[in-house]
Amino acid sequence: MSRTAEHQSLCWTPDQLPPNVRMGANSVITGNYLPGDHPFKRFRSRRQPAIVIGEGCMLNGLYFNMGEEARIEIGNYCHISEAFLLSELQIQIGNYVMVGWHTTLTDADFHPVSPDDRILDAIACSPLAHGQPRTGFARKPVIIEDDVWIGPNVTILKGVRIGEGAFIEPGSVVVRDVPPHARVLGNPAQVIGEI
Amino acid sequence: MNAAAAPWTLPDDWYPGTVPSNVCLSEPVYLGTSYSFHAYRSGASVGLRMGRGASLDKTVLDVGPAGRVILGECAFVSSARIMCDSEVEIGDFTLIGWSVVIMDSYRVPKDVAMRRQALERSAMTPDRQLEIAAEARPVRIGRNVWIGFEAVILPGVTIGEGGVIGARSVVVENVPPFSVVAGNPARVVRVLPR
Repeated sequence: MSRTAEHQSLCWTPDQLPPNVRMGANSVITGNYLPGDHPFKRFRSRRQPAIVIGEGCMLNGLYFNMGEEARIEIGNYCHISEAFLLSELQIQIGNYVMVGWHTTLTDADFHPVSPDDRILDAIACSPLAHGQPRTGFARKPVIIEDDVWIGPNVTILKGVRIGEGAFIEPGSVVVRDVPPHARVLGNPAQVIGEI
Repeated sequence: MNAAAAPWTLPDDWYPGTVPSNVCLSEPVYLGTSYSFHAYRSGASVGLRMGRGASLDKTVLDVGPAGRVILGECAFVSSARIMCDSEVEIGDFTLIGWSVVIMDSYRVPKDVAMRRQALERSAMTPDRQLEIAAEARPVRIGRNVWIGFEAVILPGVTIGEGGVIGARSVVVENVPPFSVVAGNPARVVRVLPR
C-alpha cells in the first residue's frame, strides 16, 4: 500500500508556513486534512524565528500551540506523530528523536497555582477581561536530547530534561529529569531499566 | 465474506483515501473513514477483518506488511491507535474507548545506532514509513472486554474474557478473565462476578 499521492497533497509546503518558521531540507509537516484544524491553529509566537526544524523530519499531524514568547527547536531526522507541543517559553528537541501518538510536551503551567491569582487569571481569560493583563504562571524549558524515544500517550511536564538515548514507555507521565539511556514507565514515571 | 478486488472509497468520507482490497467485512459493519488506512501497508491476505456488527471510526491502523487486525462481532473501536506488525485480535462485544493505544511491537530497534539508520532511511522514502525492525508479539483482547479511554496495551499482552481496563491504564502484563485493572502500570483491583 502506498499513501504517497493522497498524502503529499496534504503536506504543508514551505510557502504555506508562518514566516517565522524555518524548516530544513526534506522535512515534512502533514495535517492539512483535519477539518477546521491544522498544526498552526494556535500558533501565536512573535519570536524570530519561532520554530526551527532540521532536515529529514517527519512531523505528522502535530500541533504547535505556542504563546507569543515561545520557541520550539527540532533537530534532524525526528519522527513525530500526532503530538501536542504546548509552549510559552522553550521546547528543545534533539536529533533522531521519536514521539508517538497523543503525546503532550509542555513547558508551562498556563495558569497560576495560587487560588487568588487563579481567579484573576480566569477573569483575564474570560470575555469580561477588556484588556486586563493575565497573571504570571510558572514556565521552565523542556529539553529532549538526541536519540530519545517517546511512546504514545506520554505526558512530559515543564522543566524536564530527558537525557540522550532514554526510552520513555507508552503512557508515562514524566515530571522530573530522566538520566541518559534510562528506560522509564508509570505515573509518575520511574526508571525501570537501562537501554 | 470476501475481500474486494480493488481498493474502494467510502461514502461521505472527509479523507481523500481508499479502503484497501485486503479489508474483509461481514456486513453489516460501520467503517467511518479511509483515514484509518493512511498508514496501513498490510500485504497479508486479510489485513483487517471486521465481524458482523463491528464498528471502526477515527481509528488509525498503522499495520505493517505482515500485520493483521481482527475485530470480532459487535466490537466497537473509536479513535484508537493500533500499531500492528503481527496480529492484534479484538474479541466479540469488546468496547474500546477513545485514544486507546494498542501495539504489538515497538517497530524500531532499541539500539540507538540502528534506530538512527532506520530514521535516515525512512527520510529517503516518499511515504516516510519506518521499516519493521523489532520483534512483534501478538496482542489478544478477549470477548466482552471494556477498555477505558487513553489506556495503553503493550506488546504480547493477552486480556481475558469479560475484563475491564480502567481509563489511562498502561497494561504491561496479561490480565486474567473477569478482572478489573487500573493504574500505570496496571494492577488487578477487583474481580467481577461471572
